[in-house]
Amino acid sequence: MMRSLCQSLAAIVVALSGATAGAAQSETVLVFAAASAAPAIRAIADPFTARTGISVTVSGAATSTLAQQIVRGAPAQLVLTAHPRWMTHLSDSRAIDATRRTTLLGNELVLIAPLDGATTLEPSFGFALEAALGRDGRLAIGDPTHVPAGIYARQALTTLGVWASVADRLAPAGNVVAAVTFVARGESPLGIAYRTDAALSDGVRVVGLFPASSHDPVRYDLAPVSANMTPAADAFLNHLRSDAARTVFERYGFRVMAAS
Amino acid sequence: MLSPLEIEIITLSLRVSFWAVLIGLPLAIGAAWLLARTTFPGKVLVDGILHLPLVVPPVIVGYALLVLFGRQGAIGSILYDAFGVSFAFNWKGAALASGVMAFPLMVRAVRLSIEAIDQRLETAARTLGANRVRVFATITLPLALPGVLSGAVLAFARSLGEFGATITFVSNIPGETRTLPLAIFNLTQVPGSEAAIGRLVLISIAIALAALILSEVLSRRIGARIRGTPT
Amino acid sequence: MISVAIQKRHGAFALNARFEAGLGVTALFGVSGAGKTSIVNAIAGLDQPDTGRIAIGNTTLFDSEQRIFLPPERRGIGYVFQEDRLFPHLTVKGNLRYGRRRPNDHGKGLDLERVVTLLGLETLLDRLPHRLSGGEKQRVAIGRAVLSRPQLLLMDEPLANLDALRRDEILPFLERMCRDLAVPIIYVSHAIDEITRLADTLVVLDAGKTIAAGPVAEVTARLDLAPLVDRRDAGTVLDGQIEDHDGPHQLTTVSFEGGRLVIPAIGGAIGERLRLRIQARDVAIATVPPNNISTLNCLPGVIAAVGAPRHAHQDVQIDVGVPILARVTRRSVTDLGLRPGRDITALIKSVAVERTVAPGS
Repeated sequence: MMRSLCQSLAAIVVALSGATAGAAQSETVLVFAAASAAPAIRAIADPFTARTGISVTVSGAATSTLAQQIVRGAPAQLVLTAHPRWMTHLSDSRAIDATRRTTLLGNELVLIAPLDGATTLEPSFGFALEAALGRDGRLAIGDPTHVPAGIYARQALTTLGVWASVADRLAPAGNVVAAVTFVARGESPLGIAYRTDAALSDGVRVVGLFPASSHDPVRYDLAPVSANMTPAADAFLNHLRSDAARTVFERYGFRVMAAS
Repeated sequence: MLSPLEIEIITLSLRVSFWAVLIGLPLAIGAAWLLARTTFPGKVLVDGILHLPLVVPPVIVGYALLVLFGRQGAIGSILYDAFGVSFAFNWKGAALASGVMAFPLMVRAVRLSIEAIDQRLETAARTLGANRVRVFATITLPLALPGVLSGAVLAFARSLGEFGATITFVSNIPGETRTLPLAIFNLTQVPGSEAAIGRLVLISIAIALAALILSEVLSRRIGARIRGTPT
Repeated sequence: MISVAIQKRHGAFALNARFEAGLGVTALFGVSGAGKTSIVNAIAGLDQPDTGRIAIGNTTLFDSEQRIFLPPERRGIGYVFQEDRLFPHLTVKGNLRYGRRRPNDHGKGLDLERVVTLLGLETLLDRLPHRLSGGEKQRVAIGRAVLSRPQLLLMDEPLANLDALRRDEILPFLERMCRDLAVPIIYVSHAIDEITRLADTLVVLDAGKTIAAGPVAEVTARLDLAPLVDRRDAGTVLDGQIEDHDGPHQLTTVSFEGGRLVIPAIGGAIGERLRLRIQARDVAIATVPPNNISTLNCLPGVIAAVGAPRHAHQDVQIDVGVPILARVTRRSVTDLGLRPGRDITALIKSVAVERTVAPGS
């Protein structure tokens, strides 16, 4: 019921914004993107808007939050998740057009520390993570119960055999960007985030890379939200697959996956 | 009836809110008295700043707390070096976040209460030899008590619901900073937790209601005694 | 001894007051807006004059030149306000005792029991102010100020908010209090009968200026003080004592410095001291001692001064041993040739007795 209400609302908004049949009209596209990918998508959206006149709004938040909102009828047209589990959930809830689901990006998990510091620590099996936290330091990560970066981090730490030693020494942040902030402010001596987040922040440095084999591949899936799709949204969806977009993604540090 | 986890969450919430109000209330009374009874340059500005947590997004307040009271914060580092007091990732930080967010509510309630007191009573007390401190303690504060109390309880209820500043400042650590709202938030992010969410929500509402009712009753009793009308 | 010399401007109103007050009751008299409350507020430290000096004995409370300003709580001055200002959350006893811990205790003062008895508060001690009548509240206010051991007591029209019944009820208490308290009292009022009853010294205020200060009898006998003589009930105050009672005729003889007055009988012991008030309009003048006249009080005297004519009337000051005022028509002044120095007889039709409580009772 909520969903159809939101749909009606969206339809009214669309109608009021002067849409006419037959041309690429709805003037705005709303993209729900995982927090870590939002800045890159915004960087891609700006020239797109300049070229086509279609404005793109990017709402970046924790994947879990965005997914719950879409299930409850949020009027986004496109959704980019940081963990396949959530896209599957959306698919199961029939919120997205599963036939058009693709994996757009890949990312890497890194161990980060405040910029001014001398810690060196390579994530490997049994590495001295707990010792590196000191007496009362906490490891800043996205909340492993629902934030994708946190889920990957927990997986990696478990695979490397150190999860048990740090499970009660965590600072579970609401999203991965918040985790980076904790490290940048020196509140946490160490943290785990995506390589792309570390690159964006000028308060942290990368201490080491988590081996790809220690966790499920970080996959960013892209899909249209069936109920809200518009020609303009389609245009942007396709644009995200363009070479111009790829250049931007790679500049931010993402791996762009081939369309399947 | 309540699971151990739920008890842990509730106890933490109560402790955090209790301390937030306990420390915040005397400060709020002081601020309210200054605003109600004195004039000084920049008073309007101070008034505005005190009200910022009410109007600014809670996440921003949380970030400001991180900058000021975090380990490397301007105030936080001094407190740690001098007194060994740290707000990093512990319930004290959660209490600080709650206290700051609820502070404007306490100041408003107490200030209104003080302003409603006839200043002629205060000047009469001064002619009887009471200095300003004694006037405050024996005349102003007792007469302002209903407002002070309702401000405290309002702040307590607000603290119980505090989320944005808390999670931004001290993250979501079970047993340390996972108060009721943060626990509920976590559950909402995981599909299929509706039952657990429902329980926690009901508990939150019950506690807040109890606090509000208690405040109303106490406030009336004390107000009646002061005004001398029958309860 | 308190000396006051202050000036203050407040919009169009200019205050310029100068007077001294010693032991006993000094009344500040003037119409509303004359500045009485401004003066007592300045003395109490609740208001700061622009310039001037206020000192009690050797202690300077305020000096604009030397930039001295003592806050109210350090002045040791008790203040009874017009509205009682009782603390609503304290009982009568709590209110009475509030000022007991005054910082500079001047030691003079009455103890709780005595004040409670003097003011008749025995049965009220455990009550909260909201359960007191207006008169009771004001009595408590007086007791509270007195019990704070002040070195000076200010009273700003303390009976103004009470109806006639309550005022009559309190005045005896007030009189006794004033007698028993060994500190100067400054009593602000625009009610002549209160002043007559209570005051020893009278300071007259007109539009912010002190225009007269002196013993009550002297000041009330002056012809030039507009706030006093512009009233219908203008008149003089005399001190006397009961000399004799005439039982069969229900009359009492009162002797004073100028002779005797016969008045309708009042109770009281021989020798008891009284305060009398003679309104100017109750005094007629005869240039020849009258015969066959019903007025009992015909006193020989000399005209001391003749006032300026006002409308149909003119006031004449007569020396009958003490000065009294007579209000006659202008025409009579001219027709009878009333001039200073002339011997005349003053015919006093009515005498008001403002009873003074005998000392020590």
